[in-house]
This record gives sequence, C-alpha cells and structure tokens, in this order.
Amino acid sequence: MKKNLQFLGQLAVLIAIYLVGNQIVRLTGLPVPGNVVGVVLLYALLNLGLIRLEQVQDAADFLLRHLVFFFIPVAVDLMNWGGLFYRYGLMLALAIAVSTVLTYVGTGWIAQWLQKGETSCPN
Amino acid sequence: MPQLMVLFTILLTVGAYWLTKTLYLRYRHPLLNIVVLGAGLVIATLLALKIPYEAYLPGRQIMTSLLGPATVGLAVPLYRHRSLLRRHAPAIVAGVGLGSLASMLVAGLIALAAGLPKEVVLSLLPKSVTIPFAVEIARIHGGSPGLASAFVVATGTLGSVFGGTLLTWAGIKDPVARGLAMGTGAHGQGTAMAFMEGERQGSMAGLAMTLAGITTAALAPLMVRLLLPG
Repeated sequence: MKKNLQFLGQLAVLIAIYLVGNQIVRLTGLPVPGNVVGVVLLYALLNLGLIRLEQVQDAADFLLRHLVFFFIPVAVDLMNWGGLFYRYGLMLALAIAVSTVLTYVGTGWIAQWLQKGETSCPN
Repeated sequence: MPQLMVLFTILLTVGAYWLTKTLYLRYRHPLLNIVVLGAGLVIATLLALKIPYEAYLPGRQIMTSLLGPATVGLAVPLYRHRSLLRRHAPAIVAGVGLGSLASMLVAGLIALAAGLPKEVVLSLLPKSVTIPFAVEIARIHGGSPGLASAFVVATGTLGSVFGGTLLTWAGIKDPVARGLAMGTGAHGQGTAMAFMEGERQGSMAGLAMTLAGITTAALAPLMVRLLLPG
C-alpha cells in the first residue's frame, strides 16, 4: 500500500514537470516541444538537488520500460496514410536510408576521432 | 455504447502490445518490431471490423495521456550516467550534434528534391529521434504525428538491422563512438542493438538518444526555415 502511494506520488511529480514544461512553452512561445523542456527541467532539478532520484526513479523506470506501448496508438494514425506510401515509397525509402547511413558514419567518425585522446581505461 | 468502444480499443491495443512484446522478447530479432507489428495488428482488426479511425481516437487519447510524463522520465537515465556524460563530453556533443544535423539536412534535401509534399517533408525531419520527441517536433512545425512515427520506425529498423555492420565497415571500433552513432542514428531501436554489443555501447546509445531528441528539437526551427522558407 505504502509502495503504491509512493509510486503515485512519483508519477505526480513527473506529470507536474511535464505540465510545467508545456506551460513554459506556452508562455514563452518557444518553438520546441513541452516534453523536451520537461526532460531538461527534470535533469536540471536532479542536478541542483531540488529533486532526488528516489523521488522519481520507480515511476520513471516503470514508464520507460513500457514506453513502446504508447507508440502503438500513435502509429495507428497511419491508417489514414496508406496511399502516400504507394506514391512516394521509393523516394521516402531513399531519403531515410541515405540520411541514416550518413548519420551513423558521421556521428561514429567524429566521436571516434575525439575519443582518440582518451586513453583506453578499463570499463 | 461509445464507452464500450473505448474499452474495446484499449483492450485491443494492450493485447497487441502484450502479444508483440512476447514475440520480440522470445526471438529478439530487430525485424520483429513491436510498434510496426502492434499497430499493424490494431489497424488490421479495426479494418476487419469496419471500425473507423475516428472511433479509435477517444481510446488513443486515454492511452497516450501518460506518454508526456513518461518521456520526462528520460532525464533519470541521463542523470544516472552523468559521470559518463562529463567524461566523454567532447565526443558526445560533437557526435550527437553532427549526427542530428546531418540526419535532418540530408533527409530534408532528398525529400525536397523528390518533390514530396510539405507536410511529409516536415514529418520526415525528426526521423532519427525517439517517437515522443519526433511526434511533437513534427506537430509544432506542421507535420503529421502518425507519419513522423512511421519514419522514425523505418529509420530505427534500418539502423538496428544494418547499423552495426555499417559502423564496422566504416572502421568505427571505439565502443563509445559506436554507442553514440546507434543512439543518434536510430534512437531506441539502435539503443537496443547497442546493448546487445555491450553495456558501455548501450549506455552511450541511451544518452545519445535523449540528447539527439533535445538537439533535434532545438535545431528544427532553423532547419525548417532553411529548407522551407516562407
């Protein structure tokens, strides 16, 4: 019982931060999503010690473990877009493939180059 | 009666999630994608029973109400790995920054050259970041959340199937660099593959996934102005 209440309390903290993130976006008119602001905000609060890991981690870990569940109803929206893939499928595949290859190689290459200075310490 | 429909669509979605997740956990193959198979199962059922998309919306709203708070929780693994973050800061900042920029720019340019409609181009830009960020980034700039999620999954599937081989072929052996590339290029799906290579690759990929989301969200307004002026 106590554990459940604790979990709900942690969930409330995450919901509150999410709502604050959205509110910040609304008030400032920043062209970024409220959930992105929420992540930055929670990270800042954890670093400042204003929120402790124990106050959010059970709820966060649980939700993140099932994050993929929430993606299913979003993807059901594709019901309305069937025709698009017939018409533009090839070009879409090309755009996705080329940009993904370049992203992998670009990130990997520059990161490896900058890691060279880092002498390989264990683990 | 509408309440029954809401209940049905939620049970259907939970059932599809349970089934596809069980399947994925059993075989762990990157092509057994939970989002693709799960949404496919739901769509097929709705079509077979002649239930229109609009009838799915009330249930969708209830189910996704916790997506925002769940996404905020991504700050928790970020904070847990803050020492890793500080130690590899140059590689992380440059790698995630360059990757996020390249992903949007290249995909956007090809889509524009191919003459794709504006709404499609805008949905394509955040294709390398995790769904909750991609959906919101697309929505703010006038794209479609559903399309954005499809492009994200296509990117993730491609990255998780070929990404490791590609990196090896390109001579990228450093585990930190490999993890960063997988998380920046293919979000959660890339991260799952990175964890199969090793703990270090996986943690770096997880960090890169969240940071690429933040970076892409910050760069998207500039990118939209650059690619689609007016």
